[in-house]
Amino acid sequence: MAPRTVAPFGPQHPVLPEPIQLKITYENEKVVDVVPALGYGHRGIEKACELNEYPKNIHLVERICGICSCIHGISYCETVERLWPLEVPPRAKYLRVIYSEMSRLHSHLLWLGLLCDALGFESMFMQFWRIREKVLDILEATSGHRVTQSISVVGGVRRDIDAEQEKTCIKVLQEVKKEAESLINVLASDPTVKARTVGKGVLTKEQAILLGINGPHLRASGVKEDSRMLGAQAYSELGFEPIVETAGDCYARALVRAREALQSIELQLEAFSKMPEGEIFERPKGRPPANEVTYRAEQPRGECFYYAKGNGTQHLERFRVRTPTFANIPSLLVMLPGCELADVPVIVLSIDPCISCTER
Amino acid sequence: MGIIQKSQVKSPWIMHFCNSSCNGCDIEVLASLTPLYDVERFGIVNMGNPKHADVLVVTGPVNYRTARVLKNLYDQIPDPKMVIAVGACASTGGVFHNCYNILGGVDKVLPVDVYVPGCAARPEAIIDGVVLALQKLSKAVGVAK
Amino acid sequence: MIENLKEITKDTLLQEVQKFADAKARFVTTVCSDLGDKLEVTYYFNYSPGVDMSAMRMVVDKNEEVPSISGIYLAAVLVENEMFEQYGLKVKGMAIDFGGLMLLAKDSPVLPMVKDKAAGGKGGE
Ligand code: SF4
Repeated sequence: MAPRTVAPFGPQHPVLPEPIQLKITYENEKVVDVVPALGYGHRGIEKACELNEYPKNIHLVERICGICSCIHGISYCETVERLWPLEVPPRAKYLRVIYSEMSRLHSHLLWLGLLCDALGFESMFMQFWRIREKVLDILEATSGHRVTQSISVVGGVRRDIDAEQEKTCIKVLQEVKKEAESLINVLASDPTVKARTVGKGVLTKEQAILLGINGPHLRASGVKEDSRMLGAQAYSELGFEPIVETAGDCYARALVRAREALQSIELQLEAFSKMPEGEIFERPKGRPPANEVTYRAEQPRGECFYYAKGNGTQHLERFRVRTPTFANIPSLLVMLPGCELADVPVIVLSIDPCISCTER
Repeated sequence: MGIIQKSQVKSPWIMHFCNSSCNGCDIEVLASLTPLYDVERFGIVNMGNPKHADVLVVTGPVNYRTARVLKNLYDQIPDPKMVIAVGACASTGGVFHNCYNILGGVDKVLPVDVYVPGCAARPEAIIDGVVLALQKLSKAVGVAK
Repeated sequence: MIENLKEITKDTLLQEVQKFADAKARFVTTVCSDLGDKLEVTYYFNYSPGVDMSAMRMVVDKNEEVPSISGIYLAAVLVENEMFEQYGLKVKGMAIDFGGLMLLAKDSPVLPMVKDKAAGGKGGE
């Protein structure tokens, strides 16, 4: 037997902006075993959500993760609204879709950039981040902040998009679409990108389901599963169809995310054209009643599960978030053994790990 | 003034460390390296190795586990060094002040030179924070700016 | 209201989970909550591709031991460790046992999610 080496990957590693550690056992250049070590990002948000009053939790929940922050905020509101249940005005539903899709777009562009960075494709990394800034600009112009938009409140949304802003948004989105398409074409046809990603970290459909993975990671293995199919908010009126690839390798995951980025531009444009006029907020009556509900939302990284239990007071009895990466990490234990040392960063990145989400 | 002091002030190498932050400030730190803000034109380079760094940029509140890692990294950075706490939660604990696993701001563990406000701090504010830190650094190495 | 909720006991847990595994359901997560003197554990599953979720709930005493389902669904290993750390739920036979140090560090408060403040260090004060 060849000698074995155990080496830590992280918590400070150039491909990961966030701290996670993987204790990897190698035999020569081959990975034979992986144990994840978490806890560098654990804060205890679930507990703090029980201590604060329910409307104040929005700000806390949004800071579970700064990249998916907007959807966390929206989904928290959706979950708490289901306790009554409350119906939000139709225009608010559309605005929530628009903001969700905008954050999906910027998150996917961010990920595509990071993938290029992990492959050593520095100029492409900069290009993706350059067009991502345009999306952040319209987010800032409409909501007031680049990263934590804090757009949603229980009962509706906080700000409307007026006609002039709408025009700017549509114009910028069309520009982004054109540029993203050409970049994605380069990425998808580049031989060096293919050499590093095709056939790496393969998960079959059966493995994927048994491992309980979700989101683009699951769809890249050929499973048509997307929480947006549940039709919450206005998704049922937008004719949404999930994007599926069948190869189950890193390349397929990149393609799913790239196509989803383009799809989310389409969804936004469609939502803008169908958005009805009207109120955007309706004040909730009374306190959240004693009831328990679950809700699933599609984050950029996958399906996010929320559970809330009210007790008739201003506080929630229990609030739980199961974030997509939390469910995707076990798949690393299956994908990494057998691969080569140099492929570890790309495979780890291919699940789009979000550690601050995972550990809350 | 010696060449080393001069280059420390003219081209500071920063190291970014993420505590238990929410990512918001991390991606803004990264965004300030990309084309729109491009701090490299000021000679600021992001480093992965603490022994190469002059400035430690910390995002996020300190929790019980990262406290040790942070202290360890700080000790490895050669003197003179500057610490910048980026974001509300790195400065004081911010929204996470009542979470059970949080010790508080970075200044609970390290001496902090510059606090950058904002949740998330804007790239402009982060660049401004680095410039402020440089003024302090030039005093420390005895180079008037 | 939780849809498709089924009450089970800890003795039938593994059998019931095996049924889900045979039917190719996807494990979603478990939710543990503190009822005062007992713990309530709910397991959520989803038939893939599917819209509806199924759930199973059991109520156990605080110092009772429950079997781990990580032998059937490896994905459950993280959440079982988490329940052990936050609520002190004793799970027997986890595929990877972090020994209570998965999310929490050595000097973090112990059993932080337990409602009884006397049992949980800082408890989020
Ligand atoms: S200051 Fe705000 S945005 Fe920045 S890391 Fe802290 S919580 Fe996140």
